[in-house]
Amino acid sequence: MVIRALFLSLAVFGFALTSMGQVLDDPTEEARAQALMRELRCVACENEPISQSSAAIAEDMRARVRLMVGEGASDGEVRDWFESRYGEFVLFRPKGTGLEGFILWGAPFGLLVIGGLIAFGVVRRRKAGAEPVAPDEI
Amino acid sequence: MIEFGHLAAFLALAASLAQGVLGLTGARALAGRAAVVAFAVMALSFATLLVAFAQSDFSLALAANNSHTLKPMIYKLAGVWGNHEGSMALWCLVTLGFGAAGALWMRTGRDVFEARALGVQGWLAAGALSYLLFASSPYLRLDPAPLQGAGLNPVLQDVALASHPPMLYLGYVGFSFVFALAAAGLIDGRIDRVWAKEARRWALAAFIPLTIGIALGSYWAYYELGWGGWWFWDPVENASLMPWLIGAALLHSVVVTEKRGSFAAWTALLAVLAFLFSIMGAFLVRSGVLTSVHAFAVDPKRGMLLLGGLVVYGGLALGLFALRAPKLEGGKPWQMLSREGALATNNVVLVVAALTVLLGTLFPLIAEATGRTISVGEPYFRLTFVPMLAVLLAVLPVVQAWTWGKADLSGVWKWAAGGVGLVAVFLLLGVSVWDIPLGAAFGLALALWLIFGALWEVRRRAVTLARVFRLPLRVWGMTLAHVGLGVFIMGAVVETTQRYEATLALPAGGSGTVAGWNITLNDVHAIEGPNWYADKAVLTARKGSIKAEMAPTKRYYPASRMPTTETAIHKTAAGDLYIALGDRRDVDGETRWVFRVYFNPLIDFVYLGVALMALGAFFSLVPTRRRRTA
Repeated sequence: MVIRALFLSLAVFGFALTSMGQVLDDPTEEARAQALMRELRCVACENEPISQSSAAIAEDMRARVRLMVGEGASDGEVRDWFESRYGEFVLFRPKGTGLEGFILWGAPFGLLVIGGLIAFGVVRRRKAGAEPVAPDEI
Repeated sequence: MIEFGHLAAFLALAASLAQGVLGLTGARALAGRAAVVAFAVMALSFATLLVAFAQSDFSLALAANNSHTLKPMIYKLAGVWGNHEGSMALWCLVTLGFGAAGALWMRTGRDVFEARALGVQGWLAAGALSYLLFASSPYLRLDPAPLQGAGLNPVLQDVALASHPPMLYLGYVGFSFVFALAAAGLIDGRIDRVWAKEARRWALAAFIPLTIGIALGSYWAYYELGWGGWWFWDPVENASLMPWLIGAALLHSVVVTEKRGSFAAWTALLAVLAFLFSIMGAFLVRSGVLTSVHAFAVDPKRGMLLLGGLVVYGGLALGLFALRAPKLEGGKPWQMLSREGALATNNVVLVVAALTVLLGTLFPLIAEATGRTISVGEPYFRLTFVPMLAVLLAVLPVVQAWTWGKADLSGVWKWAAGGVGLVAVFLLLGVSVWDIPLGAAFGLALALWLIFGALWEVRRRAVTLARVFRLPLRVWGMTLAHVGLGVFIMGAVVETTQRYEATLALPAGGSGTVAGWNITLNDVHAIEGPNWYADKAVLTARKGSIKAEMAPTKRYYPASRMPTTETAIHKTAAGDLYIALGDRRDVDGETRWVFRVYFNPLIDFVYLGVALMALGAFFSLVPTRRRRTA
């Protein structure tokens, strides 16, 4: 892990120092860059977005996001660039592709439907003779 | 001294076993006495650990590995639970504490039931104590004793360590007694109104410290740079959120059982699950199966033992549930559009939300088994968990006046029109005036809707102003909790969508501008503390007529050779200006200091909202004297 991080930081070293601390001039672009930084994972840290980490590699990754956003890249293009470089692991927004993606994104809504069906099933058996009663406390 | 503590822990184990056996045979008084004795001896045992840490007795291996003579006293004491073994000792102490509290304060008038609840609690305590004594003993000696301790992990040397873990454990372990009550009720075959009244009090007694404990942890992570901010959907954070969500579902469902006798099996199941989710949280945190920024004291072997405990207790309880649930009595009939229906919806959504958090937390492990390394983070939960709860909360003001059994639907259209109108106004304002994302505009509308709805309900119930203060405390509890949710959502929405962050590299005397604040670096100098030395930057931040001196520091702890970042926070009515000191850089022969500067708008509303929820739960717990005889 450490060796991988060192290697990766060398790979992006070129623009690291020059662009450090630069904020994009256009506030809309800067806001978009910051939103992207919150959903990209620092590859050298335990479980942190690059927006929070003080690791050198995170700084380089932040600079890369600003560079791409400044050049007009879309959110998807920035994510794709990082994914091709560091793997799917770098995305805190997991992709919906493949069986895993389908289960991950589909399960919450599937569970809600199942829960709703169970509730209606109970009501079907229990609704005969229901009378309104005002709550006394809560 | 510590040998007395070790012996006392064995006595506590013996007393717990006695409590377990006596309780299950139905001997209420004897089991109660055993529970009190077990707690008393464990408290003594825990005190010997505290004394050893206070005196820096490094012949105790735990103190040698985790303490240091130069540490301030509060961290010496809190250091007892700043590690795996000591935190398990605290877990045991709290388990026994709830057993003793139950022995003293249960009042159902059902001796056999209460004895069984104490019995189950005794077995839970015996399990925890066995794990403590045989798999993670804090009482081991070191010979020869080192002259100096290795020191506590510097990031843990914070006042929050004295309060956050104990509160969290009171919550997690508090659910053990709710679990015991559910098991005893299932053995009895009676999950009825009397049971629900008792279970509700204990569920609240666990829910309040759990809420406070999560909030303290969140605030700690907020000011400790590198922990992902106030909430980052980290596995360890999720581990505490899951029992909280199940607990919240339980608090709503137990009311239906108490008032109408319905939802009996479901309430018992939630009561069991709340504690199982707590043990699972401990397993996730301790075993290291998941990567987390908050994970300390990770050990896979001990993790497997916790998993074993989860399987055994969970299997027994769920097996008992499967046997008895079909035989439980059903309560009064209800239709879907009724108070029961509304609370059933609440329960479905809260439980599915908890399962979504579970899925998102465990999914990286599952995907890894199929050969894909993925991360599940904030965007996933923002797109699944958040909309689910948003829909639930959007209907809350509409349904909260509904009657049991069958609702009177005459006012529903007015409410629906009001809600849709409010959202429309906010969406328009959000796009045209405030220039914020649509989700944020919807969130703000939802927050106001909730607060308005909660206050309207007070008005409706009280009818006249004079009677507002004669409403039962439980109504106030509910109102405060729902207003708190609204305040929380307002803070969370504004903070997550409007916060601003930037990096400045300043030479001494240099200045920069972030989010309208002009920030000048006056000076950076070296300072020294009891067990650390540090670089301290002195900055002046100005915005309009506001002027603040801020001093972020970077500490270095020689005992553990680790740096920590102490952030500087300046609070204003609009939010926090937050500065962290980074590295020193030499650029073109000039020394510059790197600062991470954040502006976190309305962050205090997040904590104010959670505090109101905890206060609401507290009001609901206070026993009310009946004004009129029922």
